[in-house]
Amino acid sequence: MSALTLVKRQNSPQALPLEIEAAQEGNAALVERYWFLLQAYLADGDELSLTRGYEFARQALMEGHGLLELSEIHDLALQRLPVDARFAGPIHRAAAAFFAECLSPFEMSHRGAQEGARALRHLNEVLEGELKRIAHVLHDEAGQLLALVHIAVGDVAREVPPQARGALKNVELLLTQIETELRSLSHEWRPTVLDHLGLVPALEVLSGKVAKRTGMKIHVNGNAYTRMSSTVETALYRIVQEALNNAARHAQAGNVRIEVQCTPHQVTCSVRDDGKGFDPTRKLQTEGLGLTGIRERVATLGGTLRLISEPSNGTTVQVTIPLGGRHANSCS
Amino acid sequence: MAGAAFGNRMDLSVPVGSSNDVVGARREGRIMAARLGLSATEATLVAAAISELARNIVDYAGHGEIHLSPVSHKGRRGMTIVARDQGPGIADIKAAGQLGNTTSDGLGLPGVRRIMDEFDIASGSRSGTTVTVTKWKRQ
Repeated sequence: MSALTLVKRQNSPQALPLEIEAAQEGNAALVERYWFLLQAYLADGDELSLTRGYEFARQALMEGHGLLELSEIHDLALQRLPVDARFAGPIHRAAAAFFAECLSPFEMSHRGAQEGARALRHLNEVLEGELKRIAHVLHDEAGQLLALVHIAVGDVAREVPPQARGALKNVELLLTQIETELRSLSHEWRPTVLDHLGLVPALEVLSGKVAKRTGMKIHVNGNAYTRMSSTVETALYRIVQEALNNAARHAQAGNVRIEVQCTPHQVTCSVRDDGKGFDPTRKLQTEGLGLTGIRERVATLGGTLRLISEPSNGTTVQVTIPLGGRHANSCS
Repeated sequence: MAGAAFGNRMDLSVPVGSSNDVVGARREGRIMAARLGLSATEATLVAAAISELARNIVDYAGHGEIHLSPVSHKGRRGMTIVARDQGPGIADIKAAGQLGNTTSDGLGLPGVRRIMDEFDIASGSRSGTTVTVTKWKRQ
């Protein structure tokens, strides 16, 4: 009995072993085919056998089989070799060469996925840049124009008879309202404090606003007063924003604790609430919670998302993002 | 020709008209890769590229050829694979359209681009499609 069977059995004594048997049965044909091809290659060492191996693996990949499955199939086939043959140098090497041939479609696919992730990251940066630009236009340019309108209205107010001034006062009030709206909108899109002071101060400002709006008590604690790349800071800011939204809207939490821990290699950010919680293993329930967006942001940066929750026991969203290395997101 | 620098083995062409022809092209590609001192991993990638290029010819044009040649540039050695077909224009658009497709399984011409060091595709409505790829020996 494999380790996998043992683990699964504990969860559900009747149903799962059957499923596992079915899965093994599903791969049985693949194992037979692979074994046949491997034997042929070990016998003739010919390019035809390698080509067949390549086509076999390509087909397996297109049918949705994974790399670990392929590795298991290879291992099962190897076990059919007599023990002395299995460890004999030439056969060992030939089997490895055959396996490498079967890996190459997966290598291609893997590189494609990496390229896709890079493109996604780039797109994300482009979109954030656009948002920044629009926020800037709203805040600075539209704001300045409105200020000029204010002055102009004030000038007019002095010219008109006193009984008409009340209506102009109204116009000025509306103008002030528009200014406030614009400022808060542009701040939501692109918090300038994030650019100027970094993640933790920006989260403090955000928490203050959300606390005022929702009545939740929010505590921010973090050692990340060092700066990270703007991509990482923005992503984490948006993730916390989303998690706070969830805490207020879906979990009806009273208290939230935001924690940011930064080391030279990674940054971990968690948002813990004491709200309703949910069963994270139930997919349908979690899809609506904006978690998809969080998951995508995390994936884009090669990070991991941990979701710890159970009904009536609060929710913790924990995100870890690697710093430095190829993405050049280091804490400086 | 660049191939002459490597003595007894010159450039060679393998006609591709069915999926069976890929075996010969891969065999020649692997032999050339070994002669040029490419590693086993590089040779595996060369063979994979030949498989995908040949499949592309068979699927979109019916027949064509795969041309293999050693190349050298500023002391670096490598090999160039040229896949040429006389396929119809519409098929070329289809083949070229795969290039930017990152949501698929990553095989086909986009896959070839990612496992080779250089990739170039030329396609005209009447002149068929020519895909030229190069794999350099790692220094």
